[in-house]
Order: sequence, then C-alpha cells, then structure tokens
Amino acid sequence: MTRRSIWIALLLVWSLAPMLWQLVSSFTTADALVNEQLSFWNRWTLNNYRDLLSTDPPFWRYLFNSSLVASLTTLLTLVLAIPAAYGLAKLPIRWRGSLRTAVVGAALFPYVLLFLALLELARTFSLGNNLIAISIPYSALSMPLALLLLTAAFEALPNDLEDAAKLEGLSLWQRLRWVLLPLIAPASASTAILVFLFAWNEYPVALTWLSRSDLLTLPVAMARIAGSSTYSVPYGTYAAATVLGAIPLLVLVLVFQRQIVSGLTNGAIKG
Amino acid sequence: MKLRRWLASGALALVMALGCLVGSASFRAEEVSILMPSSFTDASAELVKNFNREHRGRIHLNLIRGPLTTESISDLAISSLLLGDAPFDALLMDVTWLPKYAAAGWLEPLDPWFDQADQEQLVEGARLGNDYDGHLYRWPLVADVGLLYWRTDLMKEPPKTPDELVSVAGQLVQTNAVANGFVWQGRQYEGLSCDFLEVLQGFGGEWMDTTTNTMQLDTPEATGAAAWLNDLISAGVSPYAVTNYAESESLQAFKSGDAALMRNWPYAWAELQKDDSNVKGNVGISLMVAQPGERPGATLGSWGLSLMRQSSHQEAAVEAIRYLTNEASQRTRFLNNGYSPTQANLFSDPEMLKSSPVLPELQVALNHAIVRPPTPLYAQLSDVVQRELNGLFTETGSADEAMATSQQRSQTLLRAAGATP
Amino acid sequence: MTVLLAVPALLLIAVVFGWPMLRYAWLSFHADSVLTGLEPVANGGANWIRLAVDQRFWLDAGQTARFALISVGMELLLALAIALLLHQSWRGRGAVRALTLLPWALPTTMMALGWRWIFNTPYGPIEVLARTIGLDSLDLLSTPSITWLVTVFADVWKTTPFITLILLAGLQSIPDDLYSAFRLEGGTPLQALRRVTLPLLLPYILLSLLFRLAQAFGVFDLVQVLTGGGPAGSTESIALYAYLNGMRFLDFGYSATVMLAGFLLLTALILAGTLVLKTFGVLRPLDR
Repeated sequence: MTRRSIWIALLLVWSLAPMLWQLVSSFTTADALVNEQLSFWNRWTLNNYRDLLSTDPPFWRYLFNSSLVASLTTLLTLVLAIPAAYGLAKLPIRWRGSLRTAVVGAALFPYVLLFLALLELARTFSLGNNLIAISIPYSALSMPLALLLLTAAFEALPNDLEDAAKLEGLSLWQRLRWVLLPLIAPASASTAILVFLFAWNEYPVALTWLSRSDLLTLPVAMARIAGSSTYSVPYGTYAAATVLGAIPLLVLVLVFQRQIVSGLTNGAIKG
Repeated sequence: MKLRRWLASGALALVMALGCLVGSASFRAEEVSILMPSSFTDASAELVKNFNREHRGRIHLNLIRGPLTTESISDLAISSLLLGDAPFDALLMDVTWLPKYAAAGWLEPLDPWFDQADQEQLVEGARLGNDYDGHLYRWPLVADVGLLYWRTDLMKEPPKTPDELVSVAGQLVQTNAVANGFVWQGRQYEGLSCDFLEVLQGFGGEWMDTTTNTMQLDTPEATGAAAWLNDLISAGVSPYAVTNYAESESLQAFKSGDAALMRNWPYAWAELQKDDSNVKGNVGISLMVAQPGERPGATLGSWGLSLMRQSSHQEAAVEAIRYLTNEASQRTRFLNNGYSPTQANLFSDPEMLKSSPVLPELQVALNHAIVRPPTPLYAQLSDVVQRELNGLFTETGSADEAMATSQQRSQTLLRAAGATP
Repeated sequence: MTVLLAVPALLLIAVVFGWPMLRYAWLSFHADSVLTGLEPVANGGANWIRLAVDQRFWLDAGQTARFALISVGMELLLALAIALLLHQSWRGRGAVRALTLLPWALPTTMMALGWRWIFNTPYGPIEVLARTIGLDSLDLLSTPSITWLVTVFADVWKTTPFITLILLAGLQSIPDDLYSAFRLEGGTPLQALRRVTLPLLLPYILLSLLFRLAQAFGVFDLVQVLTGGGPAGSTESIALYAYLNGMRFLDFGYSATVMLAGFLLLTALILAGTLVLKTFGVLRPLDR
C-alpha cells in the first residue's frame, strides 16, 4: 500500500467511523450493548427501530417537520435574495464594499446570541409553535450567506446578455425570469442546498420557538430524546434515531455535493 | 329490491346512530393530562387505569411521561409555558420550583378545592412548601426529608449534636472500626444546598429572611455551619472524596459498610435492606445533629401536583389530583415503590408499618421539615452557595470569606433581578 | 432604482441581527425576571455590577475562549492536511471528498447523542477499547479536566470538512507554474509548502479562522446535549449560561446582559487577534 493510501484510509475512518458505529449499535440488542462478551450471533435485533417507530408522535413526523420548515425557508430566502442580489450587483462600487462588509459581518455572527430577542418576538406576536412562522427568522439568518453567493454570481455575468435583452424590450422581471435566472442556476442551486441544510441543522431558535412534541424539528426532537432516559440508558434506540435522522441528510449531501462544494468555495473566494 | 334497499339504509342509519352515541359518550369524557417525571408515571400506571375505569365516560386521565431528571422536566414545562401553549392541565412540581412558577402566573390557586380540614390530614412536613404569596398552589404527592442514617452495630445511639458526631465518628475512624466516619453530599450541586440547610438549621441560622427579602448568610450561625462542614473534611471525619459525592456515591459507601453515618433521603432505607447490602439489619435513622437548644432540621424534598391556570379542565384535573393523592393511592405507592406517604394516619397503619418499621422515625423527621428559601430566584441563590461551599472544601480559604462572598453575591443577584427589600 | 429590490432582504437582516443587540443593551439596564412579572423595570446597571463579580460568567468566558481557540486551531491544522491530500489527483478523489463532507451534514444535537454513547463509561466502544489494552476506566464524560477535550473533539470532527473545502478552494486557486518555478530553483516540497502555499493560502486561512472562531465562541448545541454544561460546569459556555438564565432561571434581564457581554468579549478577542497578527507581520501578504 502506498503511503498515500494509508492516509486516505485514515481519513475515511476518521470521517465515517462514528456514523458506522451508530449504525452497528442500532441493530444491537440492549444486552449486547452492555456486554461485549456476548457471542456474535446473539447480538442483533430490529427492536430498536420498532420501538423508535412506535413512539408518539412517530419519528417520521420530525423528519417531515424539518423538511417543511427547510423548504419554506429556502423558498422565502431565494424569493427575497435573488432580486436583492441583482440590485446589489448593480450598485456603484463605492457602496458595495461597505455593504458587503456588513453582510459578511452578519454571516459570521454567532446567531445563538439572538435567541432571547427572537423568543420575545415569538411571545409578543404569538409566533411560537408554528412551522410557517419559524421560517421567517430562519430565512433572515440564512440571508447573508445567500446574498453573498448570489451577488457574486450576478456580478460575474457579462453585461451584454442583459443589454441585449433590454434592447429586445424585456421588463426587469422578464429579464430576471428568462435570462438571468437560468444563468445563475448553479449558484441558486448551491444557495438553495446550503440554506436547506442550515434550516435542518438549526437548534437554538427551534428549541425556544417550538414546544409541542408533534411540531418539533429533528435537532430539537433528538435533544429531547437525549434528555429522556429513565433507568438504564436505551442507547440502541438512540442509535436507531440517529441513523434514521441522518439518512435524509446524508442522501442530500451525497446527491448535491457538487453544489455544496462550489457554493462554499465561491463563498470563500468572494468573502 | 326496494325493500332490501330500505332495510340496508335503515340498518346503516341505525349503526351510524349507535356509533354517534358511543362516540359522543367517549367524546363527552374530559381529557386531563398531567406531566410527571418518568419514574412517577411508571409508578402510577395502575392507579391511572383504575381511575379511568371508575370515571369511564366522564374523565380520561393521561399521564405525560417526562424526562427523569428534575432540571430536565422543569425545562420542558417552562419551554411550553413561556410560549403560552402548554399541553398539560397539571404538573408534578418539585418543592423548589413552586415560587418561580407561581410568581410567573402559570398556576391556578387550589384554595377553592382544598381547605383547612384537608391540610390537617397531612403530616406536618407535607404541609410545607405548597404556598406562595398567601395562596395554596400545590397539593403534595410524596414528601421526603433528609435523614441521618447510623450504624446500630457501631454505636448505641445516634449523635445528637455536632460535637458528638465529630467525637463518635472520629473515634471510629481512628480505631479503624470503619473506613469513613460520616458521608454526605458535598458535590457542587443542589444536594449540597440541602445538606447545608440542615446543618444551618442545627446551628440556629437561616438562609434567607423572606419577610424582608434579606440574606442571612454572613451571620455567625451560618459561618459556624459552613466551618463545621469544612472541618469534617480537614479533620478526617469525612473523606475528601465527599466533595464529589452525590446521593448515590454516599449510599454506595454506606451500603458497603465503609461509613458509620450517612445523610441521605428515605429511599436509601430500602436499598440498605437489600440482600447485597453489607449493613443489612444494622441501620437506624435519626435527625441531623443540632447544637444544644436548637431544633434539628430535615430538608424537605417533596413533589406535589399543581393546576395550570390556562387549563380548560380544571374541575376534572382537581378530581384526578385528589385521586392520585388519596390514602389508597399513597398506600399503593408506598408498598410498591417506597414513596413516602403524606397522610398522617398512614404512618401508624399496621400494614404500612409491617413493610417499613422506620415509618415512625420518618414521621418525626417530617415534623422537623424545613424548606429551602421559597423565592422565585432560589435556583440562582442555591448556585451561589453551592459554588462557595464546594470551593471552601476543595481550596484554601476560610468559612468567613466563603459566607461573606455568598452573602454579597446573593444580595447583588436579588437587586439585579428586581427584588425589593 | 434597482437597489430598492434589495430593501426587503437587507431590512430582514438588519432587524434580525441588529434589533437583538439593541434590545439587549436596553434590557441589560433593567430587571426583567420572574420577580418583575417578566416585565422590564429599570435597575440602573445592577445587572452589570452583578456580571462584574459573577464568578460563573468569567469561568464560562474562559472555558468558551479556551474551547474556541483550541478547537479552531486543531481544525485548521487538520483541514490543511486533508486539503493537501485532496488537492493531489488520484482515483476516487471525488468520492472520498464527498464522503469526508458527511460529518458536516449531521445536526450537532443528533451526533451529540451518538458521542454520549461512544464515550459512555463503562459500555461505550472507547471504554471497551481502553479496557482491552489494559487501561483503567477513562471516565471521559465525568472528569471535569478532560470532558472539555471531548467537546473539542466532537466539534473538530463536525466542522473540519467545512474548513477543508475552503482551504481546498484556496489551494486550487494557486497556479501550478508557481510550484514548477519553485522546484526549478531547487526547492523541496516542504519548502514549497512554507514559501509558496501558505502565504497564498493566507486569506483563506484567515477567513476560516474568523468564521470558525465566531461560531465556536457561540457553542451551544454541542454542550447542551452532550454534557449539559457538566461535569461540575466545566464545559458550560457563555451561550449556555445565557440560555439557562433566560429559560431556567427566568431572569431575562441578566440573560441579555450575559449575551451582550459575550458579544463584546468576542469582538474584543477578534480585534486583539487582528492586532497581534498585524504586529507579527502575518497580515502583510494581504496588502498586495
């Protein structure tokens, strides 16, 4: 084996071993989890998954909630950010610098520090326990990154295409819809997937805005499951929850990895 | 043909009508939900079944199984209450949360439903910690107090004063009759506050004067209490490891026969009588020590049911509360799971006494129950004292400094949170 | 004016990012706790006086800074190594790159649950491994001086892929002829790393550093689920303390104070860091 292969193998073990361990544990019986001496053939069971899927509310509900919130957030963010990025790309250079710094500052901000003010808003305007309402702060939190990526994409477009369209008499919206949007499609796709992943992963705002057990998003549900152990810890069920919760995300990342990578790298270069 | 169709639709209509009737019968049953820690929901499963059977069609009781740890279940309840959307009608409350929840306006006073006569049926300790601001907000389910466990094979009678404890335990350690003298909870957590409160009471001090909202931690009594605890460790009467002990560690040490005295809750008694206990049959319970002339104290750790203000099933919920706390339920809970009862006459009941001969001592302890400061800011005040005490035990510094600092920090805290003296 | 198109988005950002800090500044000069019925009542700076002597806050601040600096430092080193590996061309590189991205995709709280098992004493795989090679019980999650390292490990595991991608982008932007020229002049690969790669990679390293430092300073998800701030508060972060003050102690005024103080500390940390880097001339390549 070349030296490089060893490094690659180590890299893969480092990245994947914890998840694989969860997978293994999820099929292991409770006895086998605490007794490593148990023989190989007695260790396996599907009970953990069965217990997990018969909870109230059922586990898939959390996946649904997260997907709903993430989709709404992505939609809202793109609807606001694409026209905004177009407008920002047209700004004279003078303003662009300071505005970009402000947006970058917002992108770097540790948003967990916002939770109290956002909670106050939820209490005052009764926005709590509402999967549609929560996409508003989510959209706001992912807006800086979206703006950075999309503005860069618009700036990279050569002007002649749009000038030609203007000459043909297309209005602003028509230009956006028919000419520009298709051109920035890769950037939009990257933005969309990054915003979607952010909304799935977000925790502090969901923790304070959602309390009803049938409305929880996945991260909050997992935290609640983590805090609910009684006597001996049911780690088999926890592992099953981790596996089921991870599958949609892992699939997403593997399918859209090209967009994710280009999104992050472009964000880095422009940022 | 037509006849058959008529019969068919007639039968269908009849079935539907019956279905509606049956359905509406169960629809008429009021749904009452009570949130409890999982240990309590599991212990009450049978009781709930009986209740639902007796009240079929009228009330359906459902226990929501919450997390086990005290902090987690409070966090869960608060997150719902802050959003104004709590899915439970009643909540099983720890005694230290009551002021906070009541002051936040989340609880409905229980005065209309429980009167003086009901109160008098309770053992003294169970009557404490249920009120705030002149109203009754909680009806007790179980009442625990801190106890001093002593080895009957190592001493004739338990020590009564701090000096006696030091000399008895110290001597036993010196003559190698036992590895450790006195084990208690010295870790930096709520248990330490409970232990401290008992010793504080024994030295004649108090934590907080709630009539004037002033802290009483820099008094000679408080300093004396803190110094005594610290000296236990420095003199070897208690092992240094005690600074990291919670209930389970001290129980383990006592159970394996490595300690002469232990401070713990009533649940420990049952554990010590199990077959794997090295001290089975050699354990007595008593009150924490107190200075001559001072009344011994036992920290109250009780759970009780509170009614939520925003519940739309208040009458039904109160009925459920009454059921879960009545004598029969208490008897079941004690005999099956060892949860201390709150009804006074159960303490002299023959069946109960047969199951646990220490019930009379437990009642005595309950009559000496003391509550932790009933202020909504208790959790933060406790945090200050826990830190200072554990720091006193594990680092250099005097009890005077530790208590003076606790006093200052507590006062700053009260002021910053808007407490008016 | 087409820039008006940007107003809704910018307004949303201004409100959601700007309003809270203003609100906290105002709230921190008021008592807003369960004692005041969760309504703000002016208390003339008592919260700040309390913060100044609040041992728990300063302890948490130190722990948070320690966590952020160590965590980000390790992530950068690891990410650099991985990026260098992924920058070379070999078969299956694309697939490996995709697989190494997976840790970043999982929500922190979900994996925290997994880590609780992996590091569990006595049944988790780490403990079992320790036992088989003859070590004593490691008690990784219940030893105050060690548990914070477990949180660092978990954080490094999750966020290294993110930095790797950024550094990889940086590596890809360095033209190959620079390396060829360097090699022609007789430089070794190690020297190439130091004299060619790192200086050109600096903007990307600094960006990652800045971004990750700010995020790590606000660590919340990980510590709340993995350790709950324990054992004995040794892993409690500023964000967690602020959260407890608000949601557990119902002291909103002090929670706001803690968060504002945390934000100010972070800003101070970043400014101090920039100053230090400037003094050592590390930032000079950026002036070009």
